Amino acid sequence: MIANLRHVCNLLVAVAFVAAAPASAQKAFVDVGKQPDITVLIGSTPWYPAFEKVVGLYEQQTGNHVKLDVTPFNSILEKARNAVRTGQSPYDLMTLDTQWTIEFYEGGFLSPLTDVDPKFVMPKEVLSYGDSGYWNAQKRWRTSDGGKLMAYTPLGNVQLLYYRGDLLKQANIAVPKTWNDVLASCSKLAKPPSMYGFVARGEKGNGIRYDWQSIMLAEGAQVVKDPEAGDYTVTINSPQAKAALDLYANLLKRCGPPNYGSLGQGDVIQLLATGKSALGDVVTAAFASFEDPNKSLVVGKLETAPLPAGAGGAHGAVIGNWNAVIPKNASDAQKKAALAFSRWFLTYDAQRAYAEAGGIPNRSDVFTSDLAKNPKYRWMPAYLETMKFARQELGYAEGAQVEQILGLRLNQALIGEMSSGKALNTAAQEIEALFKKNGRRTGMLPPLPE
Amino acid sequence: MRDAAALPEMTPQRRGARVAIGQLIDRSFRYWSLLPAALLFAALTLYPLLNLLRMSVSTIAFANGAEVWTFTPLRNFEALTTDDVLRPAVVNTIVFVVVSVVIEMVLGVALAIAVAGLSRAKRWVRTVAILPILVPPVAIGSMWKLMYNYDFGIFNQALVALGAMPVNWLGSTSVALASVIAVDVWHWVPFVFLILFAAVEGIPPDLLEAAHVDGATRAQMLRFIVLPLLRPAIVVAFLFRAILAFKVFDEVFLLTAGGPGTSTELVNLHLYKVFFEQNRLGYGALLSLAVIAAIVAFLLVSSRVALAVRRNGHSG
Repeated sequence: MIANLRHVCNLLVAVAFVAAAPASAQKAFVDVGKQPDITVLIGSTPWYPAFEKVVGLYEQQTGNHVKLDVTPFNSILEKARNAVRTGQSPYDLMTLDTQWTIEFYEGGFLSPLTDVDPKFVMPKEVLSYGDSGYWNAQKRWRTSDGGKLMAYTPLGNVQLLYYRGDLLKQANIAVPKTWNDVLASCSKLAKPPSMYGFVARGEKGNGIRYDWQSIMLAEGAQVVKDPEAGDYTVTINSPQAKAALDLYANLLKRCGPPNYGSLGQGDVIQLLATGKSALGDVVTAAFASFEDPNKSLVVGKLETAPLPAGAGGAHGAVIGNWNAVIPKNASDAQKKAALAFSRWFLTYDAQRAYAEAGGIPNRSDVFTSDLAKNPKYRWMPAYLETMKFARQELGYAEGAQVEQILGLRLNQALIGEMSSGKALNTAAQEIEALFKKNGRRTGMLPPLPE
Repeated sequence: MRDAAALPEMTPQRRGARVAIGQLIDRSFRYWSLLPAALLFAALTLYPLLNLLRMSVSTIAFANGAEVWTFTPLRNFEALTTDDVLRPAVVNTIVFVVVSVVIEMVLGVALAIAVAGLSRAKRWVRTVAILPILVPPVAIGSMWKLMYNYDFGIFNQALVALGAMPVNWLGSTSVALASVIAVDVWHWVPFVFLILFAAVEGIPPDLLEAAHVDGATRAQMLRFIVLPLLRPAIVVAFLFRAILAFKVFDEVFLLTAGGPGTSTELVNLHLYKVFFEQNRLGYGALLSLAVIAAIVAFLLVSSRVALAVRRNGHSG
């Protein structure tokens, strides 16, 4: 009798334990089978905690193990280079900034995902991020047209316009639709030093290049005429580019803090999170930290909108996504294990869990799900709208050098070391010389008045 | 141990040959003993240097997962002569080295003499003064970046509290290099202090007592006894600091990354960008060789100057 009672009690405890366990722990989102342990190279970026949580879920569901090598942003590229240039890669999956991928694609260091498993198909709901995961070796261009599938996006960052809904409402200002609206609004809202009107990155290098290019695209300017078709005529010294640069400088000088020439991503996020700026141009990945009461004084107050349009009504945004790639010099078993994880990560349920953990999902069906209606994810509509016009930039082998040239010259124009015309002419000459040296079909526009 | 009697019989010729071999080994042992060090030197220094030399006259690309070297010596030299960022970087590096090292030497000497004059607090001051050297450069960069922050930094908070205008420490082209130099001075004055403090402590007290008895003032003792005796230590500290100042990277990288514009761009920072951000391995190698050549030239000149100073010191 007692033995039977004990048996029933044990059964009840087991049933209660199973019922109490999270739904996700009961069944894997997709059956990937037993896989060897894999090592992933990943940056210690604002979106890492969300990725870590989802990886934990994968381990819990599948029993497979993932070791994460969390690396500061500036060291990821070197670790990745060293990994692919040695006999056997210590990493089975590497996350690379979109700008770095060309070097790896062109160098032949990666395995196309369909080479690892010919049956692998990218789910149609996964956003393409300007085809940054495809490489057409003949064209030397990232395109799905004749290109091989080399990567997928674990984080699709893009800039959004952040604004303080409460302040705009108080001042009876509508959400800016154009960059000139932003200038008008921020001029009204700026009360330095307690409140700046607008913040964006002005520091030389990637910061100013990336943030300014959104306005550049909105004004109808481009760096190179048609690189996909092999026309590398430099067009950065166009009147439209000059108008974009003058507008950007005006925005930061009139509405930003006095140190606008050295503002980096951390500074911009800090100024918004501490309630010291009314408007800002920041990546989507920062949203989660603005909603974290431990990191933000403006929880629930920051709203997002797609990046505004230029004078002609066109919008522009630069995609700043990350790409997950499989090194060619990993063993076959490890490559398959990395792809198994990827297959799981790309499911709707995993991407939804990722969004709930604070990440940016890569599937359109997550953006159109009930999550988008939840105020916690109120950035989703603006993000999806921005992705319609966002594009990849500097997608050629010389991209890193072009970024350095632009990053310096734009910064010099911003801080007044050069006029905007001179800065763009200088950049154009330098970029043209670089293309010429590399045997590209190139040229440049007539110089702007300096 | 086997004794001599137990050894097998040897013919005189064999014994002679053995002795000769033994003598040869004895004579050349000093050379053989250097072999491991020489091999290590070749593997760890000579080979990388030769490889750097080879890289500097090549263009290195990657295809099909392998390196492709092309011999293009003129291309890298052309890049060196047309590099617009290199010129301001060289000028900034010279300004950085001269200003920071001179300030560090003056403060280091002053601090060493001042602390040596203390009686009770000497040990305590010495311990506290060397703390900045123990802090890793990465932590120093992050810490000072926070302190220099325009809106939230302690310096501007203090200035505003005193009714002054905040300063754009890292965002102004006219102030940024000075701000970076100030961090370097804070970091390395203790190093100079430590070397010179040991030298000051080594000055025989009877010399100073004799001068005192002869009626020398403190200023005269400093001018005619202490400073001349410190000269060799000052030269050593100066050489160390100058070499390390040439090699500065971490602090500048974290504080300003060379900006705004080119106002804090230093040669090492530029070298890093060429190598690791632009991935131009050939040109990066040539730039490295140029930096090595500049440091070697500086060392040769300064060692001659140091020798002259020492001779002067001994004769004086």
